[in-house]
Amino acid sequence: MVKNVAMRILRSEILRVVGRRLFQSIPVLLGVSLIVFTLLNILPGGTAGAILGVNATPQLVHALNVRLGLNHPFFIRYFHWLWQALHGNLGNSLLNNVPVARTLGERLPPSLEIGLAAFCEALIFAIPTAIAVARRPRGLLDRLNIAISMFGFSCPAFLLGILAIIVFSVKLHWLPATGYTPISDGLGPNIKSIILPSATIAFGLFCGYTRILRADLVDQMRGEDYIMTARAKGLSQWHILIRHAFRNALFNMITVVVLNIGTLVGGQVLIEQIFAIPGMGLLLISSINNRDVVTVQAEVTIIACAIVAANLLADVLYMVLDPRIRHGRIAS
Amino acid sequence: MAVSLPEVPLVAPAGNAAVVDVFAVSWWRGSRLRENLELYLPLTGLVLMVLACFVGPLIFPIAGPNSGSIVYANVPPFSPGHILGTDPLGNDLLSRALYGGRISFEVGFGAQGIGFFLGSSLGMLAGLKGGIVDTVIMRIMDMFLAFPGLIIAITIAVYLGPSELHVIWAISFFTVPGMARLARAHTLRFRDRDFVVSAKLCGRTDRQILLRHLAPNVIPNVLTFISLGIGIAIVAEAGLSFLGFGVPPPAPSWGNMISQGQSYISEEPYQVLVPGAFLFFTVMCLNLLADAVRARISGA
Repeated sequence: MVKNVAMRILRSEILRVVGRRLFQSIPVLLGVSLIVFTLLNILPGGTAGAILGVNATPQLVHALNVRLGLNHPFFIRYFHWLWQALHGNLGNSLLNNVPVARTLGERLPPSLEIGLAAFCEALIFAIPTAIAVARRPRGLLDRLNIAISMFGFSCPAFLLGILAIIVFSVKLHWLPATGYTPISDGLGPNIKSIILPSATIAFGLFCGYTRILRADLVDQMRGEDYIMTARAKGLSQWHILIRHAFRNALFNMITVVVLNIGTLVGGQVLIEQIFAIPGMGLLLISSINNRDVVTVQAEVTIIACAIVAANLLADVLYMVLDPRIRHGRIAS
Repeated sequence: MAVSLPEVPLVAPAGNAAVVDVFAVSWWRGSRLRENLELYLPLTGLVLMVLACFVGPLIFPIAGPNSGSIVYANVPPFSPGHILGTDPLGNDLLSRALYGGRISFEVGFGAQGIGFFLGSSLGMLAGLKGGIVDTVIMRIMDMFLAFPGLIIAITIAVYLGPSELHVIWAISFFTVPGMARLARAHTLRFRDRDFVVSAKLCGRTDRQILLRHLAPNVIPNVLTFISLGIGIAIVAEAGLSFLGFGVPPPAPSWGNMISQGQSYISEEPYQVLVPGAFLFFTVMCLNLLADAVRARISGA
């Protein structure tokens, strides 16, 4: 029995696809790391110059370059970095010689918490809203939602963040304006400190998700035979929407959710700057400013890995949702 | 497609975009006032905004963006002489917002122009040639899409140093892949049409086919997404300037005005609200315009 289940899992299409995609993502990740390495190395303005400041003599710059190992040829440095990274060693910061992995370990939790909270908030509000709105296309709720979404699309997140600070912190004194309280200092203060930043990100996501999900729900409700069957059986509109159309309307939203992860990371840089959150975004800005190539390289590589992983997750979700893909009848 | 920024997926909706003859769409629908308003109202708003920024300071007597005196610092809005108030250095906010708008539009049009030119050339080339050329070009584009655009832009902008031209380069860098995908998708739909095949049979070179036969069909379809793209570029510029990687102060830009105003939000929120409103209005016009164009094309 146990053996049968194990065999079924091993033979499952999902695992095969995951394996294939993991294999395919290797060249993408290599390419990304090479592009970043190239970008960071060919652009003018060297690390040594940034560390030594404006008064650096060429001799000092050269000496520091030798000490930091920046005098070796480009490809030797790249393969050295790659070899070390594959062994889990991301190197030491060029600025203060602290292992990059340790810094990242400190900076990752706030960013991850805010990003995840934003996703959850966006989905929790977007899904019911989209279903409610899709029930009567072009109705009052739909028009209201279009107006709200247009506001959300047109208001950049960093502007929205400042507006939120003005309203909820400066005028109403409900929430702290800036800063991040780690969870070790208590759950309450921690949650309070992430509400504004995560809600700012979530609002933009919410607007996109509701519109996409609504459009697909309406599409399903209009054209599909299974909807007609369900209606003929006498099921209520809500029941059809939630139990039948919803599952089939999810595909585009999943695609966008996954695509968003990359841009979300970019947006989070701005949000962390506004709310003074010591996360990956602020680290990225400071390390770029200091020409701390090692830290930037490590950070961007991790972000790229996360994006590749998210794409993989989307493929698995497609398969879970659609048995036709699961059984390989549609080329995925 | 989500248009929220900067969380927007910077991929143009490539695969399922309908191929239509943009010239056959009726852009003025006689008696249908609402549909016409949806298209021409945002267009008018946008044109007025561009005119106000580029021509306004030449016609109306407006103080220079940095000619204020500290004596008139932090004048609230609707004061005589300073309709939108002044910043902590006494500079007129209206003037700064208009001059800042010049930068936004220059960056928006410039970056999108470069992205459009490079992206659609690469995309059409990939689509026409197919095979190894297609694979190489599109895989490289995929790599650029695999990591966040704003971060590439920050990296490029920082390493090149803060200046308007560098911001344009940095932003155009991440508009190329989306445009390339879109152009390739449209090229694929035309590649096997009779007129392209007959051009090939007549012995036309790839370059001639690309320029004379494919470009006139592909370009208009790609152009319909440019309004959205300009909005994205304007927001990206504001974001870069907000972080201090864009146009260096004292030159005004909506982004660095918002960033400077952030320190004063408890006493003088209008320092943020004025440039914020300009930014919001412009991007909203661009988004509404994009929506209307898309609706017009898909309904044609």
